[in-house]
Amino acid sequence: MIRVLNFFCVALMGLSILALYHVSEHTRVTQMELTRVNRDIRETRNSIGVLQTEWAHVAGPARIQELAQSHGMTDTVSAQLSSFDLLPRRGDAPLNNSPLRNASAQVPQSSAAPSSMAPSSMAMVRPTLSPQPISDRSGF
Amino acid sequence: MADVPGVFQRRIVIGAVFCVAAFALVGLRLVDVSLMRGNGRSGFEDHVVTARADLVDRNGELLARDLPVKDLYARPHVFWNKDEAAHDLAAATGAEEGRLRVGFANAKHPYVLIARQVTPAIESRVMHLGLPGLEFEPSVKRYYPDGRNIAQLLGVTDPDNNGVSGLEMGLQDRIRAADDGAPVTTSIDMRVQYILAHEIAAQRQTFGAHAAGGLVMDVRTGEVLAMASLPDFDPNGRSLTGEDTTRNIMAQDVYELGSVFKIFSFALAFEDHTMHLDEIFQIGQGYKIGKYTIHEAEHMPATLAARDILAQSSNIGTAQIALRSGGVRQKQFLTHMGLLTPVQTELPEHRQSLYPANWGTIETATIAFGQGISVSPLRFAASAATIVNGGRQITPTFVKTDADRRGAQLIKPETSQQMRDLLRYVVTDGTGKNANVEGYDVGGKTGSAQVPGEHGRYIPHALRTSFFAAFPIENPRYIVFVLMDQPHGIKATGGFALAGYTAAPLAGRVISRIAPLLGVPNTTPPAQLTGGNS
Repeated sequence: MIRVLNFFCVALMGLSILALYHVSEHTRVTQMELTRVNRDIRETRNSIGVLQTEWAHVAGPARIQELAQSHGMTDTVSAQLSSFDLLPRRGDAPLNNSPLRNASAQVPQSSAAPSSMAPSSMAMVRPTLSPQPISDRSGF
Repeated sequence: MADVPGVFQRRIVIGAVFCVAAFALVGLRLVDVSLMRGNGRSGFEDHVVTARADLVDRNGELLARDLPVKDLYARPHVFWNKDEAAHDLAAATGAEEGRLRVGFANAKHPYVLIARQVTPAIESRVMHLGLPGLEFEPSVKRYYPDGRNIAQLLGVTDPDNNGVSGLEMGLQDRIRAADDGAPVTTSIDMRVQYILAHEIAAQRQTFGAHAAGGLVMDVRTGEVLAMASLPDFDPNGRSLTGEDTTRNIMAQDVYELGSVFKIFSFALAFEDHTMHLDEIFQIGQGYKIGKYTIHEAEHMPATLAARDILAQSSNIGTAQIALRSGGVRQKQFLTHMGLLTPVQTELPEHRQSLYPANWGTIETATIAFGQGISVSPLRFAASAATIVNGGRQITPTFVKTDADRRGAQLIKPETSQQMRDLLRYVVTDGTGKNANVEGYDVGGKTGSAQVPGEHGRYIPHALRTSFFAAFPIENPRYIVFVLMDQPHGIKATGGFALAGYTAAPLAGRVISRIAPLLGVPNTTPPAQLTGGNS
C-alpha cells in the first residue's frame, strides 16, 4: 500500500513538474506576446498621435484659406438673422412661387463690409492726433 | 503490541511529508498567483507615456502635442575611426562636427550626445552609416500644428520639455498633472485666433508697421479667445530668423496708448457727475497749464459738446474734464480700475505699468488723454472690459470656463451704460467710423499716441495706433483691441497713419469675420439681406 502511495506521489510530482514547466513556458511566451502587443499599441498610438497632429496642421484655418484662395474663392461675409421675431409668421409666409430664404444669408460686400474698406469713406474720418509732435509736452 | 515502523518506513513517511509540504507550497503559490493577483495590472504600461499633456483650444482643436522622437547617443570607444565617425554623424544629423570630435576624443565620457529629437528620416540616415555603438534613446518633441499663428501666446518648451514661455510655462502644473492623456483646454478659439493673426499681419504689411498685435476677449467670463503679436517666430523651428522675436507685445510691453485712454477719463467724469454729455466746453487753439500748452492734434471747433469731445478725440476737452476731478481722484480711480498694477493671468509674461511719481496738474491733464502713463495692452483690455460689461471687475484667463467671472462692481452700471452709448457714438459719428460693421453695432475708441524715443523725447512723425472695440454694444459680449506700432501712411489714406485709418478698419474687419463664428446676432433687417434659395 505504501509503495502504491509512494509511486502515486512520485508520479504526481513528475506530472506536476511537467505541468509547472508547461505553465511557466506558456507564461513566458504570453509575457513576450504581451510585451509585443503593448509595444504595438504604443507605436500605433504614437502613429495616431502623429497623424492627428498632421491633420491639425493640414486642416488648420491657414491652410484651408490658402487652398480656398488657390481655387479662386474669396472671403464671404456671412450674417445670421437676429431673432425669431424677424422671421415671418406662418400665416404670412409666401406660399406662392416666391423663393424661400436660407436662415444663413450672404451679405453684399458693399453693404456688410466695414466702411473702412472703402477709401472714399476714409477721407471722412477725423484724425485724433497729427503725426507732428505736440509742443511743450516733450517732458512727459 | 503494535509493530514498530522500520527505518525504511520512517524514511518513506518523512519523504511523503516533504512531498505533501512541497505540493502544499506549490498549491498555495498557485492560489496566490491565480486568485490574489490575477485581476491586477500586468505591470506593463498600456498607454503612451508623455511628459506633457496636449494643449487644445476651446473646441478641442489641437494646439500643442508631444511627438515621439529619439535622442541619439554614441559610445565613442567602439569606433574604429573617431574622426571619420564624427564627420559622418555630423553630416547625417546636422550636429556640429567639432563638438563631436572633441566629445569622441575625451575618454572620460562613455556616452556622447550626438543629437536631440532625431526625426525618423535622420534616424534612417544614421542607421545607413552602419556605425557601431550608437543608441537611440526614446524622447519627445513638442509640436505646434498652427505654427506662427499662436506662437507668442503658447510659448515654447526647452530641450528637456519644460515650458519656458507663454502658456507652456504658465500652465505647466496643469499640463504635468493631467491624467491619462487628458488635454488641457485653453480659452483660445483657433478660428478667431487665425482671423486675428491673419488680419493683423495683412494690416501690418500694408502700413509697414514695426510691430502689431491684438486680442479678443469675452467681457463676462474674461476668456481670451485670441491674442496675436507680430513679429512672431516659428515655434517648431526653435530658431529665430530675420525679424523674428519671441516677445509678446500684448503682455510683455507697456505703451502710452493715447486717446483710447480717454474712455477712463469719461467714465470718471460720469462717476463723479462732473459733466453731462450736452455740456459745451471751450476748445480754442491751445490749453495752457503752467508753462505747458496742450494742443489738439488737428483743428477743432472753438467749442465742443462733451459727447463730441470723445467722438472727435479732443485732448483739450478731455484734459478739462479730467481736471474737474483732479489728480488725486484720477489716480485713485485708475488704481481702482487696476490700471496701475500688472494684470495677473496664466501668462507668465506681464509688466508693471509706468506712471509719474509726481502726479500733478499737467500729469493729470496728459494722462487724461493717454500720454504720460504706460500700460500693457492686456492690462488695458481687462480694465476697458469693465467699462462695457456693466462695470464689474474682470480678470482675463486663458483657460476655458463657462462661468460668469465678473467680480466686484468697480463703476456704476449706469456709467457703463452711458459709456457704451458714447462708444457707439464714436463709431457712428466720430473717429471710429472705419470700425463700423453693419448689423453688429460696434462701439469703440481710437488711440493715436506719440512714440517716446531716447532721452524721453517723442520720435517725430512716429505714432502708435490702437482701437478698442466692443460688440454688440447694447450688451457687449466681446471686446477687440488692436495695436500697431509705428505704421506709415499710404496713398489710400492720404498719407495719414492715424488710428482711424490703421487700427479702426483692422478692428472692423476682425469683427466682421469673427462675429458670425461666435454666434453674435446680426441686427441687419432681413429685407437688406440677400437670401439664397433653399
